[in-house]
Amino acid sequence: MGMKGSPICADNSFTGKGKVKATWRVVLFLVVFPLLLALSMLLGPSGIGIPDLQSPSGSAILSLRFSRLLMGMMTGAALSASGVVFQALLRNPLAEPYVLGVSGGAGLGATLTILAGSGVLVTLSLPVVAFVSAVLTLMVVYGIASQGSSGQPSVYSLILSGVIVSSICSSIVMFLVSTASVEGMHNVIWWMLGSLQPVTASQQLLSAGLIFAGLGGIWLLSPQLNALALGREMAHYQGLRADVVIVIGLLFATLLAATAVSLSGMIGFVGLIVPHVMRALFGPDHRRLVPLAALGGGTFLVLCDAAARTLLAPIEIPVGVVTALAGGPFFLIILQRRMKQAWIA
Amino acid sequence: MEQDALTFKNVSAGYKQRRVLDNVSFTVKEGEFVSLIGPNGCGKSTLLKTAAALLKPLSGAVELFGQDVQRIKPAVRASLLGVVPQKIDSPMAFTVSQIVMNGRISSMGWWGTPSSLDHDLVERAMIYTDVLGLRDRFFTELSGGEQQRVALAMVLAQEPKIIMLDESISHLDINHRQEVLQILMNLNREKRMTILLVSHDLTLSAGISDRFLLMEAGTLAKAGTPAEVLEPELLSRVYDCDLTVQQDPYTGYLQVSGAIESLRRRRKLEKSVHVIAGGGSGIELYRRLLIEGYEVTTGVLNRLDSDAEAARALNIPVVLEQPFSPVGADAIAQAMEMILRADTVVLSQVPFGSGNLVNLELAEEALKRGKTVLLAVGIGERDYTEGKSAVDFAARLKHSGALNWHSIHELMAQLQQQLPH
Repeated sequence: MGMKGSPICADNSFTGKGKVKATWRVVLFLVVFPLLLALSMLLGPSGIGIPDLQSPSGSAILSLRFSRLLMGMMTGAALSASGVVFQALLRNPLAEPYVLGVSGGAGLGATLTILAGSGVLVTLSLPVVAFVSAVLTLMVVYGIASQGSSGQPSVYSLILSGVIVSSICSSIVMFLVSTASVEGMHNVIWWMLGSLQPVTASQQLLSAGLIFAGLGGIWLLSPQLNALALGREMAHYQGLRADVVIVIGLLFATLLAATAVSLSGMIGFVGLIVPHVMRALFGPDHRRLVPLAALGGGTFLVLCDAAARTLLAPIEIPVGVVTALAGGPFFLIILQRRMKQAWIA
Repeated sequence: MEQDALTFKNVSAGYKQRRVLDNVSFTVKEGEFVSLIGPNGCGKSTLLKTAAALLKPLSGAVELFGQDVQRIKPAVRASLLGVVPQKIDSPMAFTVSQIVMNGRISSMGWWGTPSSLDHDLVERAMIYTDVLGLRDRFFTELSGGEQQRVALAMVLAQEPKIIMLDESISHLDINHRQEVLQILMNLNREKRMTILLVSHDLTLSAGISDRFLLMEAGTLAKAGTPAEVLEPELLSRVYDCDLTVQQDPYTGYLQVSGAIESLRRRRKLEKSVHVIAGGGSGIELYRRLLIEGYEVTTGVLNRLDSDAEAARALNIPVVLEQPFSPVGADAIAQAMEMILRADTVVLSQVPFGSGNLVNLELAEEALKRGKTVLLAVGIGERDYTEGKSAVDFAARLKHSGALNWHSIHELMAQLQQQLPH
């Protein structure tokens, strides 16, 4: 902010000389993130380092770590990309799946499914039910926010009604948990705390399919997301089917958030902060931002999970705690330094 | 013969519960420079939104170069019509050149990769609007005037045949306003670009426009050349204030100004007006009469009436009566005294019931004593007495010489006439 008065700002990250710098930053990120993922494979409650691959327990540990890495990549990528889209479509830095009630709705759907029992069919229907209930919640939120306005609801009424609906959803979840059987209660609470305990292979496969579909869809939309940065009206004037893009974008983002919730429960922070940090580092062009935010969100969650299972081993800290505790200060520093590139209000 | 660029055919438009445009018809020819004028809230922005297919007409049709605008594909529409809004803002840190490139979005491929043509057009638009030097700056850091020129560059890069500007230049400083207008005039003359400019600066628009469209409360009050539309009487009615139009003897330009003369006269007038009001119908009257410099009295009013509160707040002498009780002899006598001191009695658009019918008797008495009585029209819709006795009363007053008034503007003119010169 202090640079405001300078004739040409010192750090033109995305054009001219700055463009080169930003490109280097992308290259650096693409080199570093696999290294960080590899590092997470070395961490676990059984010790730091490569486990003895000769022994059956060693290879089991490695494969367990690998499947948690997959879980983390999927969940983190989905949450982060979903946050990018919500922020772009609502043009508001506070927008994310939690604020709009999408996660809450997905959570309610997932809770009902978990309490309904276990078995292959139930776990497979988990992401689908979560998606459907998240979409329904979004429709309710939109409906409430539209009351009394002529045409489009304002972002503020959307966020306000999102917060209200979200807390109603979580109250219902609490009620369901308190009246459930001991086993059901245990299942739901464990899931709700948010963890990257691997789910069944079939559920992982289905979730991976949904998340890839969501990410691909959003990436294809990214030129339109750029145009929507100037608002729905301006995008319309420039020849976009703005309302169609908004609806499709919201559906894809909801699909991603719901799948992430059904996979790993309620993990906060990733969907809100990672998009901001990635925007600060790599600029707001969504064609670049969407894939980078997905990779960044995934890597971040994988690292947090590695820390969560290692730090107090054999006790495992809920990963959501680590995302906020470790990520918070780190991201605050980045945002402080590059506030201007992140979001200028 | 020039082609029709934009045609409104009996268009009514608006929002769910609120109709803003009412049966508007006009045509803008290709290559014309048209200014759309009218007071705040008369429907100018709604007209632009309807023209750009952002709003669907409730009835009637909008045509762009002979095609129904609702049926034109969005990308094609963007190549015909560009809109510069009042203000654009980008919440994220896009640079100026990224913003201007947005103008090419519907001409670029699905991945939004600019061709060399796109780059050329963007650069040309930025040169034209003098923002090339800002290309690497963050849009959000620019001043309002710079942002507005960037917005214009973006719309120029779109290469539309018509540009509509929604009060886009109203908040520019005089230097940048002239500059943007100069750009628009050049586009109009050199590229035959059709321009529809929503404007509040009537004088400035008069100098550059081929035609004016004057809107009044959702309808088209008049369309024509600046000289035809800039009629002092018409403008004064539509804008509800005194306006004068003068022709500059040297340039021939028309100049519209709020009548300074009437401002200067706003010293204390040795004239007093007694207002018979109630139910909030008096507030605007009190305000306007005081601004014009009249001495104002009012009554009889109910103690809890909002007009009574307003009178107290404005320090207007008022005769009050207890709420929910018939007007007593005391109050009537006091009000009569006020009326006798006043030159004129004005009746507002107050609803009548049995409780305040006595006010009409006061008015009748005033007429008998030789006072001028001015009566708001449409008493029939506000008569809640049994047997419509207020209507009968009004007819009697009219018969005995009371005058009618329709709008506050007209009322003020009538009062002016009665002033000694």
